Amino acid sequence: MNIQDNYQKNKKNIFFSDNKDIQIHREKLINIFETDRFDRKNNESLKNINLKKFIEFKYKYLVPEETSVINNNQDNSYSIVSVNGQCSSFKDDKIEITKILYEDYNDFSKNNTIEKNDHFVNLNSLFLNSGFKIVIKKNNNIKIKISNIVTDDNLTIFQKNNYICEEGSSLSLIEEYENKNNSTSNILNVINLENNSKLNHFLIQDNSSNHNLIITSHSSCKKDSTYTQKVYNFSEGYVRNFHYSELIEINSEADLQGIFFLKDNNTSNNKTFVKHLAEDCKSNQVYKGILNDRAKATYFSNTYVDQVAQKTEGYQLSKGILLSDNASYFSKPELKIYADDVKCSHGSTIGPIDENAIYYLRSRGMSKIAATKILISSFINEELSSINDDLMSETIQKKLVRYLSKVK
Amino acid sequence: MFLEIKDLSVKIENKNILNGLNLNINKGEVHAIMGPNGCGKSTLANVLAGKEDYEILNGKINFKDNDLFDLNIEERAQEGMFLAFQYPVEIPGVNITPFLHSAINSKRKRMNEEEIDNLSFAKLLKSKASDLGINIDMLKRSVNTGFSGGEKKRYEILQMSILNPDLAILDETDSGLDIDALKIVTEGVNRLKTKNNAFLIITHYQKLLDYIKPDHVHVMVNGSIVKSGGPEIAAEIEKDGFQKFQ
Repeated sequence: MNIQDNYQKNKKNIFFSDNKDIQIHREKLINIFETDRFDRKNNESLKNINLKKFIEFKYKYLVPEETSVINNNQDNSYSIVSVNGQCSSFKDDKIEITKILYEDYNDFSKNNTIEKNDHFVNLNSLFLNSGFKIVIKKNNNIKIKISNIVTDDNLTIFQKNNYICEEGSSLSLIEEYENKNNSTSNILNVINLENNSKLNHFLIQDNSSNHNLIITSHSSCKKDSTYTQKVYNFSEGYVRNFHYSELIEINSEADLQGIFFLKDNNTSNNKTFVKHLAEDCKSNQVYKGILNDRAKATYFSNTYVDQVAQKTEGYQLSKGILLSDNASYFSKPELKIYADDVKCSHGSTIGPIDENAIYYLRSRGMSKIAATKILISSFINEELSSINDDLMSETIQKKLVRYLSKVK
Repeated sequence: MFLEIKDLSVKIENKNILNGLNLNINKGEVHAIMGPNGCGKSTLANVLAGKEDYEILNGKINFKDNDLFDLNIEERAQEGMFLAFQYPVEIPGVNITPFLHSAINSKRKRMNEEEIDNLSFAKLLKSKASDLGINIDMLKRSVNTGFSGGEKKRYEILQMSILNPDLAILDETDSGLDIDALKIVTEGVNRLKTKNNAFLIITHYQKLLDYIKPDHVHVMVNGSIVKSGGPEIAAEIEKDGFQKFQ
């Protein structure tokens, strides 16, 4: 079924389909799908994917019967179970959770950082069927853990979440994606950090091989705010991590990091993009990948420095270990600098595991497989040792051990 | 015979490096191999340790009644062979202490000996490090990462003293060491010498052999031993160079 027919058939179950402005926007999106040439060479959203599978999909959505928010007052932490992309409303003096509103959709459609031809983001806007908005109130310091559950097979979740960190607030957000069913989640997180706010965002992705996760985020940082994102992708199914950040006011920072562990025939596409639009801002984009068997990955990183963004510091780094001759990792760092007083760098190194290091470790009595595993662990040691949440550190370590147990 | 190398010929990337090399080492002996750059000394060390880049064209190596070519790299190490590298590899993210603990236990496991526990290992490591003038803080670092040339060599000897090998091969351990470090390192080696182990020392210079007295000195040229004798050969080389052996 083509996009137009699919949308028309299901629009009763799609958010805001009775809104005229949104309808006009969606008609434009449908037109893009009908006229686009799907240029795989130049469109980063099309690399390494079976586009037909994602465009000619069978729409299915189930409204969840139950979702929950648990507030643990003792340590300012909240546990949220988001089911099929939906979350119960909740309000106290620190946070407010509501469904997403028409305004949230509209705000984002005007943003121009995400490319117009990112078909997955367009699909998300077109078939939007779930999502929530979380506001962290002024000067509060809280922790939220969200378990993202998909209940049934063959569901197509199109979810848009909006996070707002008000002035002086601090949020530690841990999102877990551990789904074992044959479904597709297409999620767009829109994040706004007000002055002097801070968000540490961890995404733990560990879906089974039949579950597709397409996750896009757009963060916008005002004066003195900091957005840190750390992605740990252990999924056996397809994952797309595309994360965009705009530093719109002075002295704001974005740190986008990711590690992915791929095996078998799995594919992961990754992209980070930081726009420096104000002075004295800092950004860091670091992705590391370990690929075994016939796994494939891409990573596009991009730093844009506007002419007003003097004193920018922007760094990019991509590293990959290929454990098999049949694995492949394509990495493309880009810098576009229009200011003259900046410190920017980018680097990319991809290759097999260091044979000299293997030899050295083996010469001390370690088996080849033990040496390989210890070198993989050391490759991501910095990222793992920087996790300061004990429970999360233990979770990641267990997943790493599971991945390493399959390395032969 | 403890180590017997018979008519060994080896090539790498179509280049013959060792050409019919013969060498016998008995328990309790210290042998030194001296030779000009590129004569194949490090190749010999790496072939003994089991590096897989080389093609063995001919010959046999017996070590402690084992055909060495039947053993892979780690099995040779577990059997008691140790190579102190000329250029120790930096391995960021691999902490020295657990790495060495794992190394010693892999050897003990092969020897059907009880594994050494954390506490006993920590004590052993501390004591050996102290003997070699190695700061305890260094043991918290990653393997060879950020070490100076001298520190790397000292750390190789620390590993050797922990693993207590039957045959230690020192590949130009003296290079990059100042005189004080050389004394500490060679004292470390001398402490390890017993009548049950053996050392093969590869060097360009006599200086190292002033501190570690060899029983036998061999001159290696173009992949073969061209002359063997006592320590006097080292003095001869120091005086006249390698020219007359080529």
